Amino acid sequence: MNFDFSEDQQEIKRTARDLLAARSSFAAVRAAAESGAPDAALWAELCELGWPGIAIGETYGGQGLGLVELAVLLEELGYAVAVTPMLGSALAALAIEHGGDDAQRERWLPGLAGGSLRGALGLADGLVPDAPGADVIVLVDADGGARVLAAADARVEAVETIDPTRVYGRVESGAGDAIDPTGIDRAAIAVSAELVGVAQRALDLTLAYVKERKQFDVPVGAFQAVSHRCAQMLLGVESARSATYFAAWAADADRERLAEGASLAKAAASEAGREVTASAIQAHGGIGFTWEADLHWLYKRAQLDAALLGAAGTHRTRLARMVSERLQTIDA
Amino acid sequence: MDLTFNEAEAAFRDELRAWLDAHDPGPEPTDDDEAHWRWRRDWQRTMAADRWAGVHWPVEYGGRGATITQSAIFFEELGRSGAPLPADVLGLLLAGPTLMVWGSDQQKERLLPTILDASEPWCQGFSEPDAGSDLASLKTRAVEDPETGEWVVTGQKVWTSGAQFAKWCMLVARTDPDAPRKHQGLTYFVLDMEQPGVQVVPLRQITGESEFNELFLQEARIPAENVVGGVGNGWKVAMTTLMNERSGLAFFLQVRLRQQLDKLIAEAARRGRLEDPVIAERLGELHVRTEVLRLTAYRGLTAIEKHGQPGPEGSLTKWMWSDTNQQLTQFAVDVLGDEALTRESFWSFELLRARGNSIEGGTTEILKNIVAERVLGLPRLRG
Repeated sequence: MNFDFSEDQQEIKRTARDLLAARSSFAAVRAAAESGAPDAALWAELCELGWPGIAIGETYGGQGLGLVELAVLLEELGYAVAVTPMLGSALAALAIEHGGDDAQRERWLPGLAGGSLRGALGLADGLVPDAPGADVIVLVDADGGARVLAAADARVEAVETIDPTRVYGRVESGAGDAIDPTGIDRAAIAVSAELVGVAQRALDLTLAYVKERKQFDVPVGAFQAVSHRCAQMLLGVESARSATYFAAWAADADRERLAEGASLAKAAASEAGREVTASAIQAHGGIGFTWEADLHWLYKRAQLDAALLGAAGTHRTRLARMVSERLQTIDA
Repeated sequence: MDLTFNEAEAAFRDELRAWLDAHDPGPEPTDDDEAHWRWRRDWQRTMAADRWAGVHWPVEYGGRGATITQSAIFFEELGRSGAPLPADVLGLLLAGPTLMVWGSDQQKERLLPTILDASEPWCQGFSEPDAGSDLASLKTRAVEDPETGEWVVTGQKVWTSGAQFAKWCMLVARTDPDAPRKHQGLTYFVLDMEQPGVQVVPLRQITGESEFNELFLQEARIPAENVVGGVGNGWKVAMTTLMNERSGLAFFLQVRLRQQLDKLIAEAARRGRLEDPVIAERLGELHVRTEVLRLTAYRGLTAIEKHGQPGPEGSLTKWMWSDTNQQLTQFAVDVLGDEALTRESFWSFELLRARGNSIEGGTTEILKNIVAERVLGLPRLRG
């Protein structure tokens, strides 16, 4: 039993943290968000480094690593609230690689791995992140089925959301090509990883602030009303992290537990993402409510990510049914 | 990452499972605290006979020298089997490990063997009426008798679980009231409970049963050789005891939580209540909390095994458990209605007992202070 990342995975994490600290500062996030478009220079650099293909098989030009490694990158991208189309490409690639046929894989994966193509994935009747600008779109239908389509065969209407750090769209399309929906659980885990990073950043910013900010001649973090709020934030972040790392590991090493892991991760991370970022605003007081402070990028990203591919409630209900079915099987 | 057990861990688990399959503690006595105690004592003796009582103890002291992961497996499997915790859990988890660190050779030789077979059970004399979370302000006084060299102890302890059955007490008392700081001037003793100066008065809990007691000490006597870790060093020794308090047990409690949640989900399904989306969602939420507790406890083990100290997640599990158990037992009343509030219902006892979870072994408020100060590095306001 070992919950630690390997040396290689830790190295990926360190490299990603350092790179994004330099290239995706809050000033850069703000500039991209206010321009309404992804940070093209950053995206080019990430493609150069092979990030979009980290979990795509080597046959298709990827690095052939697992969902754990992808989760490490997405956590860091969430931590930086980086304004790139990486999430859409990663989610589409997961769905196509694990649910598509050979022809579909050959058609889309090499481009997604190298960054010459961009992808998007979302619910057919919902907002699809990174759909504007995507070349290939995976839609998940209400009945749980999934299909892949070329952007040329769809009409994408860009939609402004509260989250200007990512582009979203509604997709109108014909039937597309059906794929097996097994990759969708992996996509939910990937989104959870981003949420872990977003929540961790909100906690880190809050801790730095409440240690500095003084009222009544003491740092406000010395007041238990504030320090206990911070402890609660840590509980949320670590809960989401435990569930998400387990789920990513299960996707790579124990597929029997993938479906349950995905819902565990998405339920825990959606809840933590929303609560921790909201708590961060409260702990900052008035300044936390201003456009000038950077907390709102985190709060907004968390809101959209939490809703993506099933909010916490959807996954909790799914889990209750799974457990009930398992108990009935044991009885029978 | 590898979230499977290695070969040695799997072999340990299989051997333990086979043993638990072959041994049965018998039916649990109800409504009789003494019979309940004897039931758990006999169960500990059965375990001790095959060296399963103190698995985390070194082999030289009669244990199996289990790793902390094996120790976690032990509590997980014990909980899963439905068997109770051994009777002298305080001796096995707290007094024994404390004596191994601080005890003299003579103390270890005399006191450790009788912990394993529960022939001389232990209780913990730390808290006092005016010293709960603020333990260092305790007032029980120990004065050296110049004639005999014995220590004479007078004072009151409270919340003393199992005192009515205990032979020994881990007692912290003030030996130097003039020490400049209240953490100084404390000494850790082994007190013999079988003497006239010790009076045990059971406290009745909101469940109606009596797990804990008041302990009145009126010139109780302790021989000089029963000082543990040196006169004036009591705070450090007590910290060793408290550090051991939450290890391992988390896994037993998590499994029990899991079993209760499964019981409630099965019952809700049987009554068709899972069709109600509000109930299904809430049960799913409790499932998430229960599984996150288990995963977080395992992350804590990795931190200790790989890095020698608990990570940020290590301080969270007791808080998670008490919170989730309280939510679960309360929600059972929502699912099952007022029949869950009758005396004969399994859930009515659990509902009441759960209120103690966020108080016993460190209140949630104190745990939040610990997280804030030691994990998050926030400044402290109190003295």
